Amino acid sequence: MTSSPFDNQPNEVLGRMLREELTGSEPEAFLRRLRGVVTEAGTRTQWDVLAGWARPRVMAAAIAAALLLWFGSWFASTTSANEAGVMVASMPAHTVLSPQPPPVDEIMSALMERR
Amino acid sequence: MDPALRNSDVADAELAQAAARGDPDAFGQLIDRHGLAARRAARAILRDADDADDAVQEGMLAAWRAIDRYDPARPFRPWLMRIVVNAALDARRRSRVRRAEPIVDSLESGGLSPDRRAEAALLRERIHAGLASLPERQRVALVLFDGEGWGHAEIAAALGVPEGTVRSYVFHARRAMRRALGNLAEGMK
Repeated sequence: MTSSPFDNQPNEVLGRMLREELTGSEPEAFLRRLRGVVTEAGTRTQWDVLAGWARPRVMAAAIAAALLLWFGSWFASTTSANEAGVMVASMPAHTVLSPQPPPVDEIMSALMERR
Repeated sequence: MDPALRNSDVADAELAQAAARGDPDAFGQLIDRHGLAARRAARAILRDADDADDAVQEGMLAAWRAIDRYDPARPFRPWLMRIVVNAALDARRRSRVRRAEPIVDSLESGGLSPDRRAEAALLRERIHAGLASLPERQRVALVLFDGEGWGHAEIAAALGVPEGTVRSYVFHARRAMRRALGNLAEGMK
């Protein structure tokens, strides 16, 4: 290891020392064991492959369903707000502006007029 | 496995795509290509041979299960190494025990004269001490750069840090190793 730490090239001597120190015993057996573990852990079945392929489509469908749900609830709330607006509009102005609750017969007549 | 994929010139990305289609032999070939580099990186982090082998195994399994999420437009080995390094770092965090025993099953010294054997033992001891003095990521950067011949960009992708950080890791790690190896470093050209 005679080169400077500033070198941008791998140092062969240091590299060899590190490989010798860290490779460990029986490298072939180690690789064989790894291959065996992967094979045992489950050959990726056709279902796994299909699942991987389908994942983006399932996500897209879920997003579309969520958007549809949100749009539906937004539409429903807009409609009911409009209906409340119609009900208020059909009541006499003084009942809406008055701080006191309006008499029951005025509310009833407003509802009857809507029909 | 498709016989065309047995060729050693076949790119990692092609093998990874075959593995994503459900071909375990293609993934086996990727293990043959990168398994030992992964073992060395894991040993640089964990310092215990059995823990390191377990971490590599865990990382390889995770990579096999996630192979359909690998983007073939990007280099494969930093993707794989990142999974293995994360598995080793997780194992390290789980154990929280820094073992003192060196990894002793390497650096063949059989057949050497007593003097040479003593020198080899001293060298092993100093390499171990040098590595032990480094932070984990510096150790991995050093092993991948000098030991495996990877470029800074690939190491940066594997460690999830900027390229400049990798350069700094390698610089500091080399300086520490040089200090640890002392006169042994000078005589080993």
